[in-house]
Amino acid sequence: MTQTLQKVDHSALKTNQLFIISLNVLAFIFNLPILAALVALVMGIGSALKIPGFGFVYKYLLKPRGWIKPDVLNDNPEPHRFAQFLGFLFMTAGSIALFFGASALGWGLIWLVVALAALNAFGGFCVGCAVYYWLSRFNLPGFSKQPPAGTFPGMKPRMGASQ
Amino acid sequence: MNAETTSVVLRFGLAVVIIGLGTFVYWLINQRLLMRARSSVFTLFNELPNKPVLVYFTTPDCAPCKAVQRPAIDRISSLLGETLEVIEINAYEQPELAKTWGVMSVPTTFVIDERGEARYVNNGVARAEKLLEQIQTL
Repeated sequence: MTQTLQKVDHSALKTNQLFIISLNVLAFIFNLPILAALVALVMGIGSALKIPGFGFVYKYLLKPRGWIKPDVLNDNPEPHRFAQFLGFLFMTAGSIALFFGASALGWGLIWLVVALAALNAFGGFCVGCAVYYWLSRFNLPGFSKQPPAGTFPGMKPRMGASQ
Repeated sequence: MNAETTSVVLRFGLAVVIIGLGTFVYWLINQRLLMRARSSVFTLFNELPNKPVLVYFTTPDCAPCKAVQRPAIDRISSLLGETLEVIEINAYEQPELAKTWGVMSVPTTFVIDERGEARYVNNGVARAEKLLEQIQTL
């Protein structure tokens, strides 16, 4: 099956992941549930606008100054949006748990988001994207995209994937 | 030390332990990749070149490869001259080779010693200083 891929800047996605990781770790160290809730909010806004939540830092600060080079690949943006939305749900659940005093559950959920963001940022594997592609196999409405050719579902596109 | 400071210190320690565990898992994955590369060395050459080899997986549309990785490799190549062999592999043209070596993304570089043993793997961009340091420790 052929499908049209779009240009996706993976540097923007990576910046988003690095901010999610850093801010959540800081929130944990300084016991600041409000900071975790803020991260959840930014991810939620990003999901609504269909952009990486902290992508604005990359777009307006890091990219213009050349601190991070663009890494534009032919890819499907939808799985990445879905992954961010999943992260937002976990972050929101974690933040709510923290505000109700369920510290272990709350921080557990937030560390889960940190772990998955780190796997994506450093290992190139997007678990949320893999879930998206897995759901697309069941022809669920809204899950229509297939992984780029030659790319394992969830992995960053590489060889033979951009054609 | 008051209770608040103690709490921050404890949480910092816990964060370090969690991140350390994550790093350990990442290290284990890299070790697995190196083991795979060790058994794949002879897919590149019939006989060993008897000098360190840098195997560089790239693709023509890989922006960080062009912007950072290629200049870094050029730099160490000119620095080390004949004492280093660089093998560049276009993963588009040789997808099977990339698969055999377990390459998940580009750029990926492997540093192989003169005995043909894969000693280091760098997932993503590796700066010239890092590659040089890895080659010098062979």
